[in-house]
Amino acid sequence: MHDHPYAFLALFLGVAIAFPLIMLGVAWLWVRFFQAAKPGVLKNATYECGLASTGDSWIQFKAHYYLYAILFLIFDVEVLFLLPFAVAFTSLSTGALLAMLVFILLLAEGLVWSWQRGYLAWK
Amino acid sequence: METLEQIRDRLVARFPSAQVTLVTNPGAAAEHSLLLDATHAHDLALFLRDDPALRLDYCSNVTGVDWPDKEITDVTKTTVPDPAGGPPKIVESKTTRLQPGYLEAVYHLYSMALKHGPVVIRMRTANRSDAVALPSLTPVWRACDFQEREVYDLYGIIFERHPDLRRILMWDEFKDHPMRKDYVEPDDYEWEPTAHGDVLERAKANAATAENLKGGNLQPEVPQTPEAKP
Amino acid sequence: MSDAVKKPDPFPAAGNISDAEREDLRRNGILMTSFEELYNWGRTNSIWPLQFGLACCAIEMIAAATARFDIARFGAEIFRPSPRQADLMIVSGTVTNKMAPQVVRLWNQMPEPKYCIAMGACAISGGPFKQGYNVLKGIDRFIPVDIYIPGCPPRPEALLNGLIELQKKMKGEKLTGPDAARFTRADMPSEFPIPAYGAHDLEPPKNDSVWTPPKPEAKA
Repeated sequence: MHDHPYAFLALFLGVAIAFPLIMLGVAWLWVRFFQAAKPGVLKNATYECGLASTGDSWIQFKAHYYLYAILFLIFDVEVLFLLPFAVAFTSLSTGALLAMLVFILLLAEGLVWSWQRGYLAWK
Repeated sequence: METLEQIRDRLVARFPSAQVTLVTNPGAAAEHSLLLDATHAHDLALFLRDDPALRLDYCSNVTGVDWPDKEITDVTKTTVPDPAGGPPKIVESKTTRLQPGYLEAVYHLYSMALKHGPVVIRMRTANRSDAVALPSLTPVWRACDFQEREVYDLYGIIFERHPDLRRILMWDEFKDHPMRKDYVEPDDYEWEPTAHGDVLERAKANAATAENLKGGNLQPEVPQTPEAKP
Repeated sequence: MSDAVKKPDPFPAAGNISDAEREDLRRNGILMTSFEELYNWGRTNSIWPLQFGLACCAIEMIAAATARFDIARFGAEIFRPSPRQADLMIVSGTVTNKMAPQVVRLWNQMPEPKYCIAMGACAISGGPFKQGYNVLKGIDRFIPVDIYIPGCPPRPEALLNGLIELQKKMKGEKLTGPDAARFTRADMPSEFPIPAYGAHDLEPPKNDSVWTPPKPEAKA
């Protein structure tokens, strides 16, 4: 097995494709043999708590979501870098410690800046 | 709190051209009310709300009343001297007159600041058919908003300067005003085991009497469960 | 207590094996079942109602979902907010004429197999407010109702009894054959026309293919 370390992935892929196909296949067989499909215009209408839906369902995307995602990404990557730092903390030299401190301080300054600018408040 | 007569006197003193009358309630509840005229109602309402002695800042209820046209029979007794020389006869003559009907909006006011009340005020429309407008008191008390919409929906009183006057209980395409005395429900007869009132009338009309069966007045016989169509 | 719903047939797949014999086999560790029975068993023990309460009966429905009466033991504690995920609509409360099109639209949006319980006098026939100007005289004017639960309001135990009756009805449903269940047959409609708001009443005031008023008895 150590010749093909990725063979397990191929098996995983196979199961991932076969499983939903089997489910859909069973549903298709069910419709064919037992329960005739009854589609309809009223049945497929948009749900709006029983009312007839009016107007377009496309709304303007709130740009604040994007901002939050960017901030999260930055600090998530920072955490990623902090992890090996934390693991090797006790065996590091002072220079390395100082470098990491500068790294953290730079990102903390970024946090303070975005906080002051009000980007962390949800409007 | 001062009596209604005192309130009425103060209102008339403050607004000399306004017509404020006391309407007594002859029943046991004795909820007498003040009838305001439509043109000055807004100013009178503002006075009632802001006057330091009254401070009626809470309108707890707005309701409508439909007074239909009423035929009143007046019986007058006149003494007519007997031409034959006997004692004078008392002759009764009846005259009927039509008292025109009107729609009425009744407001119940309380004071949250001074903890007194209620003071009941009324406004009457000119008639029931075309002159059905009354000033809205929503600018004075916000609580009147939905309640005046309900009175519009059920009685047909149009409140002028209401911020959003549309039907609230019935749908917008509905045409009638259900709480009026002359509202006729759509004829939707359904057999009932204990029919009474006008349901009994309709039951009699729909009863399976011989003439009705011949005439075919009954609902057509349709299968109760949806069967498979051949 | 007599059963209003027909009991399911004795086990058909194995010929004429009776329930007693089946129980005997089960006690000895042999379980026999049929596909239909398994399918219906899965469905009846996981009925998901639609979150649909209109008036006072809705309070009793909520009470049935609380710990004291516990509709969760029947698998029905998940009240779905969306009709697409529900298979039972418990119409609990007065259906006003203004609300009736919404009820029918929600019924249409539920996928098959779906069932309707009319809970309370108002949903069955208009109830104590039958003469009201805005009251629909029973939701069965527009959608097919499977179980009627009388009461004003019916106690939560009565709602649970109605649910049990619905479970019995579902257990007796067949997938194939001449008396197959409503949801399997393409000729039985799953969506119903939605009444429109007319000038004086709903148009149409009732759906004649779903319900007609009972004929009064002929008087001599």
